[in-house]
Amino acid sequence: MSARSISTVTIVGGGIVAWSAAAAIRRQLPAIRVTVVVLPVPRDALADRLGCTLPSIVDFHHDLGLADADTVVRAGSGFRLGTRFEGWSSGRNHYVHAYGEYGRTLAATSFHQHWLRANTLKEAAPFDEYSLAASIAAAERFLPSEDKAASRLASYAYGLHIDPQNYREMMRAFAMHLGAEERGGVVADVRMREDGFIDAICLGDGIELSANLFVDASGPQAQIRSRLDKDSDDWSRFFPADRLIVANDPQTSEPSTLDHAKALDGGWTWQATSPVRTSCGLVYSSAHLDDGKAEGLVDGGENIKLQPGRLRNPWVRNCVAIGDAAVTMEPLEWTNLHLAHSAIDRLVAMMPDTDCNATELWDYNRQTNAEIDRARDFVLLHYAVSDRPEPFWKDSASRPLPGSLEHSLLQWRERGRLPFYEEETFTRDSWAAVLIGQGALPRRIDPLLSGISEKESQRSMEQLRGAIQSAVAQAPPLGTYLRNLSIQGAR
Amino acid sequence: MLAQPPIQVVIVGGGTAGWMTAAALTKLLPRACNVHLVESEEIGIVGVGEATLPHIRGFNERLGIDEAEFMARTRATFKLGIEFENWARVGDRYIHPFGTFGRGQGEVGFHQYWLRMLHDGHAVEHLDDYSLACTMARMGRFALPSQDPCEISSTFNYAYQFDATLFAPFLRSIAEGLGTRRTEGRIVDVEFHGESGNIAAVVLANGERIPGDLFIDCSGFVALLIGKALEEPFQDWSKWLPCDRAVAMPCRTATAVTPYTSAIAMDSGWRWRIPLQHRTGNGYVHSSEFIAEQDAMDALVSTVEGEPLANPRVLRFKAGRRERSWVKNCIAIGLSGGFLEPLESTSIYLIQAAITALVELFPEKDIAASDRDEFNRVVDVEYDRIRDFLILHYHATERSDSPFWDYVRTMEIPDTLAEKLELFRRRGRVVKYREGVFLEASWIAVYLGQRVFPEGHDMRADLPRPESLAGGMEQLRNEILQSVQGMPDHLGMIARYCPMAA
Repeated sequence: MSARSISTVTIVGGGIVAWSAAAAIRRQLPAIRVTVVVLPVPRDALADRLGCTLPSIVDFHHDLGLADADTVVRAGSGFRLGTRFEGWSSGRNHYVHAYGEYGRTLAATSFHQHWLRANTLKEAAPFDEYSLAASIAAAERFLPSEDKAASRLASYAYGLHIDPQNYREMMRAFAMHLGAEERGGVVADVRMREDGFIDAICLGDGIELSANLFVDASGPQAQIRSRLDKDSDDWSRFFPADRLIVANDPQTSEPSTLDHAKALDGGWTWQATSPVRTSCGLVYSSAHLDDGKAEGLVDGGENIKLQPGRLRNPWVRNCVAIGDAAVTMEPLEWTNLHLAHSAIDRLVAMMPDTDCNATELWDYNRQTNAEIDRARDFVLLHYAVSDRPEPFWKDSASRPLPGSLEHSLLQWRERGRLPFYEEETFTRDSWAAVLIGQGALPRRIDPLLSGISEKESQRSMEQLRGAIQSAVAQAPPLGTYLRNLSIQGAR
Repeated sequence: MLAQPPIQVVIVGGGTAGWMTAAALTKLLPRACNVHLVESEEIGIVGVGEATLPHIRGFNERLGIDEAEFMARTRATFKLGIEFENWARVGDRYIHPFGTFGRGQGEVGFHQYWLRMLHDGHAVEHLDDYSLACTMARMGRFALPSQDPCEISSTFNYAYQFDATLFAPFLRSIAEGLGTRRTEGRIVDVEFHGESGNIAAVVLANGERIPGDLFIDCSGFVALLIGKALEEPFQDWSKWLPCDRAVAMPCRTATAVTPYTSAIAMDSGWRWRIPLQHRTGNGYVHSSEFIAEQDAMDALVSTVEGEPLANPRVLRFKAGRRERSWVKNCIAIGLSGGFLEPLESTSIYLIQAAITALVELFPEKDIAASDRDEFNRVVDVEYDRIRDFLILHYHATERSDSPFWDYVRTMEIPDTLAEKLELFRRRGRVVKYREGVFLEASWIAVYLGQRVFPEGHDMRADLPRPESLAGGMEQLRNEILQSVQGMPDHLGMIARYCPMAA
């Protein structure tokens, strides 16, 4: 610590993102005093309100020192292995996008290339069947990551299906336990310094809160950060959907490690069931589906307008926007909380001095934006390669693509190459799972396969598929695993 | 999606680049191409790149090359890194190791804890002392790395110092064994397809015409196809990297066969020292703007350690790369595509990177623009990142004892490097890229070695108590020393593992 070090951070927002940021800073930078100004969570703050999360949440918990007993048992979360996509392309029923390897590299050549060749010879089983993660998920079973035999077979990871309210309470209690302080109020005003830095925020009760650094986790309105500038990239031209309906109900079906994303005429719906809740929702385009009709499809849901886009610079001077304050994107593939966690990790790792050096902020923004943009590309990918005939889907597939996605798609369609960018969220296997799952196949086979005979690669593929099948048969059903975990947690 | 008939590849030039390409293509794409290499014994090979980076091990492995045999045949020694002398100030020395500082694990880099201790006024050893690779290099020991990531002896990587004039013939025997056709002859003409402007054939002095679908230009600096025939412009980087000459002269090894290469800064450039099994390679890389050729030659001759084994030889070059390495149906690999001085031993790495990209993007007979563009993108990134790393060595200096050092110290540098420098100065942060050859430890070693010292550090490094950090660092140091003391010395290891034929 030096005299220039940041010693006070004020976080604005009352949801999962704000409390997660508070906990992470207190845990890893305990010299910093953290105050959370608690505001009501707006309806459209998706990172705070959606329950499905990616495997990165498990790492985030690990860094905080939180165990499954807290995050799963106490907060009522379920394990989440992936999404089952239904009807996203015509002529194909479904595919599973799970978080783990699809196949395994054979003779220094990507598995998907072997699969593509076998597929042209009509000798390939569905791509999912070569993935341990996807197969376990499809069978409604679960393997703890400690399972040695299975992890030798293939890598796999899981996210959580959290109950947003329970989880927020758990994270709040944890952050307070670590020493974060809480304040109620409204943001009545923001007082600026002459150099454009924020001096203090004025709460409704006449109290002023100053800090070295302000974190805006207040949702899409970005109540603090918006006072500095509103420069943003609008993504409306890329995204076909402009409406979202979310409903969280008490649990109505058996908990499942897979959520279901089903394509409809004018959008798509999801359903996900954790041990305590069933969440469902509808993402659609108001141009293709009447609001009234849409609301009829989701009982008791709240209708939210979507305005996809991100800030040009999430961090300006001494104010950084995190969560929906920085980026708004529809829930497909559940990137919202993931991007917030990643921004929090980056904030902690790159905590500058009180002068908020411009080059350090530039590096933060560069990384953050690169990550956001590639997550966006992956979400858009699902629409770009759909061949459904309805007007909404035709519109989806004919929209302009960001340059980076266009590049990825060109390389894929030409020869099955998946160029990797900086700060990718999703692995090459994830890209291949979606592309192959939706029937977007390359024009030619990679010449590298010419060195490996069809028979040889067929034999390896079958061997792997067999090993996966027997690992799945030996894995406990999810219910059994959850019961064991809660018994351990109760001890 | 049907398999294509094999395409005809013509490789022009049989040096390191040509035979590496031929061996890789015939090994990895046996049914996708037929390879025909044209070389002329009248034209010698440059044979630069005696020192390599660890990536070459992956290349050899993919080709199924036995390491011990390869080392014996090329009279190779092991290389743990590069020692830089006199760069920031006369008298300074540091090692850029092929390995991590600390164990190379954990969210917060070891150097951050080290910086924090220094900033807080605690006594710590030099950062090199917490690197296994640096310690091995200083003590002149070598053993192969452990495969168990928990062991300290897994925290380094290595490359080779070898005789490049023996590497090409070694690869040739492999490539010919795999079916590469070789023709001896000098190319006197290039024929084009009328409409496309693609190269149709090369014509030899004896009148023989060698047609092909894809032409790989491995002709070296003369750039017979990409430069002379296709006139692809050259991007000149000499304002940042002003060295444009090298005088080279091998000598008998009079001191130690070090498991590292030396790069010793001179008045108007720098001098390499590369110890092989049978001799030591020396060369003075300099800028003709700042020193006359004869003076450079004299300076080299007066500094070599042992009896000269040849007369000094002059190489002329220019730093930079072709605007595009792949134009029409012609791909430049090696010196025809670009040149970066051997300061960080990147010549063979750049050949390898281009070959890897070509294998991954191997085209059809009718070349798709997407293959060509992607190849150029990938290769450009490699060149650009290495360029910045090299400039750093010159620019981050305090030397003001010659016009050359005055120039490089005060020259404008690319923005991409200025940003990286500022980030390190502030908080010891290294900009991490997914692509690009040099990883975090390399940048840290060179920044610190060039006296770029961070004002601050990662705040997370303030978390542990200083006593426990000091204890952990001492334990690490002991573990490293113990591990290195158990290793054979470099020459002993070579004698046992890969001695050259007598």
